[in-house]
Amino acid sequence: MPLTSRRPATAGFSLAEMIAGFVLFAAIMAALTYGTASLFQMQARPDVTYQGSSYTLAPSLTDFNSAVSLHAAFAAAVDASDNLIVLGGVRTHPVQDANGPSATLKLSFSDTSLPAAAACDPFSAFSSWDQKSVNASQFSSDWSSNPDPADFTILTVQGLSHITSVAQQRRYTTTLGTGESVVMYQVSWQGYSWSTGLPVATTAYSYRIYYDAAEDVWAIRPGVSHYWYRTDVAWDRDQEAPSRVVFADPYVLAGHDAQAQVSAVSRFVYFLPQCR
Amino acid sequence: MPLIRRAFHPGSQRAMASAAVLVFAVFAIVMLMANFNLNYAVNQTSDAFDVFHSQMVEKNGVSQIVKESILAVAETATTQSTNSLQTEINNRLAALTFPDGGSLALSGPNSATTVPTNGFYPSGTPASASQPAYFSPSTYTRAVAGMGNLFTSLVTQGPAADLGRITFQFNRVSGSEANDSRTYTVNADLFSVPITNLDVVAYGLPASGQVPAAAPQLPSGFIGSGTSCLVVTSNNPANDATAYPDLFNPSGVEQLPYQYRNAASFSWNAYEYIWSTAYQDQLIAAAEVPTSANLPSPAPQGSVYDFAAAQEPVVTGLTSTGNAITIDCSLVTAPIIEVVDSEGIGSVTVQGSAVSGIPFVLIVRNTAGSGSQTSVTFSGNNLRPVLYYFENASLAFSNTPQILGGLLLDRTSTVTGAFAWYGHVSFYGPANPFASEVATVNDSPAVKVALEDIAPRVLLVSTNSPYTPSLAP
Repeated sequence: MPLTSRRPATAGFSLAEMIAGFVLFAAIMAALTYGTASLFQMQARPDVTYQGSSYTLAPSLTDFNSAVSLHAAFAAAVDASDNLIVLGGVRTHPVQDANGPSATLKLSFSDTSLPAAAACDPFSAFSSWDQKSVNASQFSSDWSSNPDPADFTILTVQGLSHITSVAQQRRYTTTLGTGESVVMYQVSWQGYSWSTGLPVATTAYSYRIYYDAAEDVWAIRPGVSHYWYRTDVAWDRDQEAPSRVVFADPYVLAGHDAQAQVSAVSRFVYFLPQCR
Repeated sequence: MPLIRRAFHPGSQRAMASAAVLVFAVFAIVMLMANFNLNYAVNQTSDAFDVFHSQMVEKNGVSQIVKESILAVAETATTQSTNSLQTEINNRLAALTFPDGGSLALSGPNSATTVPTNGFYPSGTPASASQPAYFSPSTYTRAVAGMGNLFTSLVTQGPAADLGRITFQFNRVSGSEANDSRTYTVNADLFSVPITNLDVVAYGLPASGQVPAAAPQLPSGFIGSGTSCLVVTSNNPANDATAYPDLFNPSGVEQLPYQYRNAASFSWNAYEYIWSTAYQDQLIAAAEVPTSANLPSPAPQGSVYDFAAAQEPVVTGLTSTGNAITIDCSLVTAPIIEVVDSEGIGSVTVQGSAVSGIPFVLIVRNTAGSGSQTSVTFSGNNLRPVLYYFENASLAFSNTPQILGGLLLDRTSTVTGAFAWYGHVSFYGPANPFASEVATVNDSPAVKVALEDIAPRVLLVSTNSPYTPSLAP
């Protein structure tokens, strides 16, 4: 009966097979779990709500798509404008506001025209500082308080007085209920069409993202840096050079690797002249 | 055979395990594919956005090529290209290379070949002008909103003439992606702007002289309220204390940012032309034409009074005593009077008019060189707009007269005394003649209108290339 002493062919695995199978199964499961977790951590991280608005953990593909749409519209508005008013950031005036951060217009700002600018000397439109002065009365109730260095407001203007779009960026810092310290960026853009002679709001775009506070490290920080050719009171020459404007990028994991030699750079960097 | 049946028996544990591994493998592949697709989507979107930005920059570069080509053949300047406009454009395009191996070419059948004439006194007929508005057409101009503030800030200072729009089409063929090939349309808007629309200009002469390193120091109150002023100076803080080094490149030859192009046209190149022999000879030729204002005159000079000539013309409103002449602005009927003082021996008194009248041109041209200026004295208020050209003259004002008109001083003319000017004053920036004078220049829309047909005109060009972003939904 030597044959009967053998394990039947359909009776099951040997011990060695079972151990090997278990190890293989565990390895596959571990790999899948890790891969899936990584993917979902990247794409389905929890949103948080701050001041009534939902923010998505970056990197976020959905917000990246929104950002591309926003910046396509923003770039087109800049291209069609006569001049820009860039508020916020550092060095809005090399003497009178050398360090910043300078105030921006509130997110609720929704004016579509600048009556005072319509009557001003067009040479006064050669810097946002001049424009700030020309429109001081209108802006006075709309200045934001405690601006962050990354905050800015950009108005694209035609004919000195018609606002064709308003772009806003805000940066907030807060601590979540989990104790995690995070940094939030809110970017919005609202266009206005004047094709009928009256302002009509066009499609609005926005994206809101957040990072761990430790990851908010950039090669070029989001925000506005103003540059100047000259300021000349005698000849009324406040001539501002193009401003460097950096928007937050929803698909850049800023400062993820603290040891990295190269910090993150936003895709959405502009060098915007005040006058075109 | 039994072994084969065992291996593929559906109930076998080995088959179950194999199926589980297969499911896991498929799942893993799906997850990896999803991850790949995610990264691929981000990459493709980023590339598309980069292309969008590249095209935006490129079409604006093409706009700049068109603008420079137009200015090359038609700018108010001493040197103009004799090439056709298309040749100028093609020459600039030929200098471009494209990393993708593509090409950019002017689409001939759709493109204009000539530039509208920017005629002005005395050799051409100036186009009719009116005060431009931003959002509505004026009598002779289109609405100017959308043409850029660097352009409109100069165009809206007074009456201007709209010379129209010329449109160009360019075919951009991508060497790498056929879908990136596209057509750029460039619109060029041309305006003719009287030089007198700017109230105070400290001009530079980049070819025949210098450009002002820094803005001239003017006495307090010289630039009145609402008075426009223009000077284009160095961006080097070492030259101009008002400049900042933010974007200044200290190495190599200084190059002004393109932002200053229109201002340089207006305050540099136009004055090179105005004070060139060619234009000054056109003025004297115009003054030599006999008119009813200087008849009956036995001399051939028309309204040209030459101190060195043996015989002088009879010019209504001009009287002489030896080498001294008086021009009574209330009596002048000629459209232009030229006083030539090639030896530096004459003196001129400009007697003001208490009432307004038809504007005319008065030129005092002294070619005797330094040290032999022609003395010019302004006497009394002058409410009649006059466009004055003074070459190598010493101007003296007494009793702070109020004078309407345009005052164009060459690089060697000097000024003493106080005055209140209403209209345009321009002078050579590097040689400031007003440093110690108590004077005021005031904006006067009426004077701008009065002088618009006898003042030199500057051709200003605005180009734009519309772009509809294809990425925005």
